[in-house]
Amino acid sequence: MDNIGYLFAAYTVIWAVVFGYALMMQKKQRQLQRKIKLLQDSLDKSKTNS
Amino acid sequence: MNEIFTRIFAIFWKDMLIEIRSKEFVFSVLVFAILELVIFSFAFSIRANMADMAASGILWVALTFGGVIGFNRIFAVEKENARLEGLMLCPVDRSIIYWGKLAGSFIFMLAVAVVVTPIFLILFNLPLLLPRLALIIVLAIIGFAAVGTLFSAVAINTRARDIMLPILFLPIIVPVIVAAVKATAPVLAGKAWGDILTWLQIIIAFDIIYLVVATLVFEFVIEE
Amino acid sequence: MSNKRALRDNALLGLGLVLMVAALYMVFVYVPTEKNMGIVQRIFYFHVPIAWVSLLSFFITFIFSILYLWKREMKWDSVACASAEIGVVFTTLVLITGPIWAKPVWGIWWTWDARLSTSLVLWLIYVAYLLIRSFATEPARGARYGAVIGIVGFIDVPLVFLAVNLWRTQHPTTIVFEGGVTVPMLLTLIVCIVAFTTLYIILLVQSANLKIMDADIKHLKGMIQAE
Repeated sequence: MDNIGYLFAAYTVIWAVVFGYALMMQKKQRQLQRKIKLLQDSLDKSKTNS
Repeated sequence: MNEIFTRIFAIFWKDMLIEIRSKEFVFSVLVFAILELVIFSFAFSIRANMADMAASGILWVALTFGGVIGFNRIFAVEKENARLEGLMLCPVDRSIIYWGKLAGSFIFMLAVAVVVTPIFLILFNLPLLLPRLALIIVLAIIGFAAVGTLFSAVAINTRARDIMLPILFLPIIVPVIVAAVKATAPVLAGKAWGDILTWLQIIIAFDIIYLVVATLVFEFVIEE
Repeated sequence: MSNKRALRDNALLGLGLVLMVAALYMVFVYVPTEKNMGIVQRIFYFHVPIAWVSLLSFFITFIFSILYLWKREMKWDSVACASAEIGVVFTTLVLITGPIWAKPVWGIWWTWDARLSTSLVLWLIYVAYLLIRSFATEPARGARYGAVIGIVGFIDVPLVFLAVNLWRTQHPTTIVFEGGVTVPMLLTLIVCIVAFTTLYIILLVQSANLKIMDADIKHLKGMIQAE
């Protein structure tokens, strides 16, 4: 039981990194959704103009 | 077959003529490599009868980083004069361009090695006549040139060109460095062929693999 | 069409969750503590699968790099790039969990043995892959150069391993299980490998889809601006 600190550290790092990566992907997804909205808006605008 | 050699030679010779006119560059690389030897000697408080492995390592670090500096230039000349497009207009197989450039890189590295190695041997009080060392150097340089030429073409079209070449080149070339250092150490100690032969064969095998893969992949790098 | 995809994604996610919970159970409840290394040895059950998955992901990058250079469809490049990203993440984990395991057990953070050294070089090669893509002047070039490195890099990996292995057999060291590998240990390891491979697939699908969407959006933007 003496080295349990190391065990805890290792598993924490694994979860932190995997989670961090998943979070980054989520951020990217929101960014893309924003871009889609922008495109949608500009498309609608050009439609009403023409 | 003759035609292929002629074309490769043409590309190679053109580069040679250009480089000979800009001697300062080759000279500065030489000075840099020698500086490396000196700095390492001071950094590790090296005495003349040091372990051969350490001395071997120092030689190969000097050669490797000298090479890295040089490889940046191989395609830099082409880019500066937009000659690569001209070269590409010729109906030649792309890999011929690679081999022409490869010959140039090889000669460049050889020139650096020819000057740096004797200086190294003198500084470390090692015997000067070491034909086996020459063989190791020539073989290892083929590997360096094979990978360096390919990645020079990649790095040249990138934004952080000067730092990207070492970042690409060094990890890939690790096997050759390991083998070269391991082969050189017994040679410096004057030992028999034994291990050295194994490592030499490994260097040759690596060289062949690098050359084949680079030749196959080069056309994808310079297509535009 | 998108309903089927959502169903498939959710099923994958569910499977992944189940496998991970099973893996956790096996690692922390089922398998007995190893005799010599004590409780820290349990790191092994995640460390090895993560290393395996990182190799798998670079292999996928290799395959899809070839596919991209051959077919020139952006979606192949997106998969290759996504796989390389995940590979770098997992290799980073290998390089962190390895020393965390080594320090209490063997008293050293690092040793230049074949596996660790190759992992480090692997990390460097694929970080170079990601860097070249971000430093490229246009995305198409980045994809092409990345593919070249994805191919050359992967072929180089066995060479590195061979060279370092040969170098190190002259100084034999390292990581053997003196107590032997028992059946429960093997079983736990296998479950963990399956769990992490599933995790890899989940991450890969997500990441690749994001990249494909990104490319599509850029394409659409270009078309709209052209009008």
